[in-house]
Amino acid sequence: MTARELIRKVLLVDLIKGLSVTFRYQDPREVYTEQYPLERPQVAERYRGAPRLNVNPETNETLCIACDLCALACPEHLIVVSSERNATTRRKELTTFTYDLSRCMFCGLCEDACPTDALELTQDFELANYTREGAIWDRQTLERGPQPTVYKG
Amino acid sequence: MQSFLDYLKSSGTPGQYGDPMWGAVWALIYILLIFTGISVAVIAMNWLERKILAHMQVRLGPMRVGPHGLLQPIADALKLLIKEDIVPDEADRVVFWLAPVAVVIAAFTVFIVVPFGPTHAVTDMNIGLLFMLGVSSLGVLGIIMAGWASNSHYPLMGALRSSAQMVSYEIAMGMAVVSAVLMTSLSSGTGTLSMIGIVRAQAEQGVWFIFKFFPLGLLAFFIFAVAMVAETNRAPFDLPEAESELVAGFHTEYSGFRWSLFFLAEYAAMIAVSSIAVTLWLGGWMRPFASWHGPKITMPGYWEHPELGAVDFAFSLAPAATFLLLAGLSFLGTVRMPRHPMFKIQKAGLAGFSLALAGIGVLLLVPPVRDTIQDIYWFVFKVAIFMYLYIWYRGTFPRYRFDQLMKLGWKVMIPLGIGVLIVTALLGVML
Repeated sequence: MTARELIRKVLLVDLIKGLSVTFRYQDPREVYTEQYPLERPQVAERYRGAPRLNVNPETNETLCIACDLCALACPEHLIVVSSERNATTRRKELTTFTYDLSRCMFCGLCEDACPTDALELTQDFELANYTREGAIWDRQTLERGPQPTVYKG
Repeated sequence: MQSFLDYLKSSGTPGQYGDPMWGAVWALIYILLIFTGISVAVIAMNWLERKILAHMQVRLGPMRVGPHGLLQPIADALKLLIKEDIVPDEADRVVFWLAPVAVVIAAFTVFIVVPFGPTHAVTDMNIGLLFMLGVSSLGVLGIIMAGWASNSHYPLMGALRSSAQMVSYEIAMGMAVVSAVLMTSLSSGTGTLSMIGIVRAQAEQGVWFIFKFFPLGLLAFFIFAVAMVAETNRAPFDLPEAESELVAGFHTEYSGFRWSLFFLAEYAAMIAVSSIAVTLWLGGWMRPFASWHGPKITMPGYWEHPELGAVDFAFSLAPAATFLLLAGLSFLGTVRMPRHPMFKIQKAGLAGFSLALAGIGVLLLVPPVRDTIQDIYWFVFKVAIFMYLYIWYRGTFPRYRFDQLMKLGWKVMIPLGIGVLIVTALLGVML
């Protein structure tokens, strides 16, 4: 041990350094914790969360053309699309759309398959449910998106 | 009854009051006050420790129960009280029951001689310091009882570690204490072990013993400051209850109310040893720069004490200023609370709390109250600094290994303590 090290040890330099570090971190601005329901985290843009069925913002009609490509793309086969032929326009129209979130692994293949950008995995992450059945979303829920309690007025 | 009221005019502790019966009544009042005060301090300490420790680790700590988690200790206490009280099958029931009681009694009895002010102590024993050290080391007996009665490996290991640690560090602590006691004899020729006498000696010599024979007093204080952390089993010397090694050490098998007694005793013991340190080295109830009086100023009305100078007056405002500052902080918290109906009750509660603090602050401005509260305030203030240090150490230092602990105790602290003692004695003889 050199003289320098000895002096450092006797004067407790390292201990005082450590103390000053912890003292500085007491500044409330250093706090890293998020107060979750009050402060909502910024989720990454590419995050794949709750699915949503987009509607045309002007006419409020669904963008979905009931082509069933998403259901075919899904590796878990958790999407069920049913449609019905409109007798006058001769077009397929979406009737029901169910999406079983309990089996979803958020791979995003369904939104890649969608030709009209109707199905989209959004950045919403609050998917908890009281029942298993609650995790199966119907067309209405998919268009509305999850509605978590908002704490900040 | 007249005798009861006359005590207020006397200048001594209840233990020294001429009328033994009313003296005893006053002593009881003091004991109740101190017991409540310590319990409240432990509750406050519980909250503060979690908050400060959290902030040191860039966390927030309790935020949910009450504004900024202010009611968390109460919620915890309620939880502990309604928890199932488990006694292990193989435990020695009598000793298992007795252990927490012994620890609590040892931790609280020492407060009899703690001088919160020249008259604010239950009694002033001429062996006060010896009494305090003796009774506070009884706590280790309770810990050994707890470890043994649990009839389980971890508690026993914890208790053994605790006793070895306490015995080793008590020697170094004793050396440091004796060197301070030697200093009390310097001006009067006779030393004293009385807690009040020690502070009076510092007042007579016009210096706190931490600055006496610099750096000797500081060294002795340093030894005591390290030994008292070891003595109270706090980080970085918390080997008896090392979570990562011994689950919880001697109180592994305890739950509910019995566990909370251990908790209470630990914090009461921390306050007790801190008050020894404050009494011996930091001038007890004296304010900083106590020997320094400012120029006399005159102001009509207040000045029933014309001997008070401006500096004294400024320092006498400190208690009120502290409470008003706290009130201001909690009022700021009220203002910054989110505007939402869910926060209505919390907001009202915090506003009420800050009003209460401000009320106390204003009350402390009233001259008679202000003058009696002075010594208590400075004593508590110094002890509070030690409490903060305890938390700060815990937030900073990693735990010692057992052999390192013993090495530090026997190879560094004890020789240093003996050295400090000898040099103090020599200087005392020569000067």
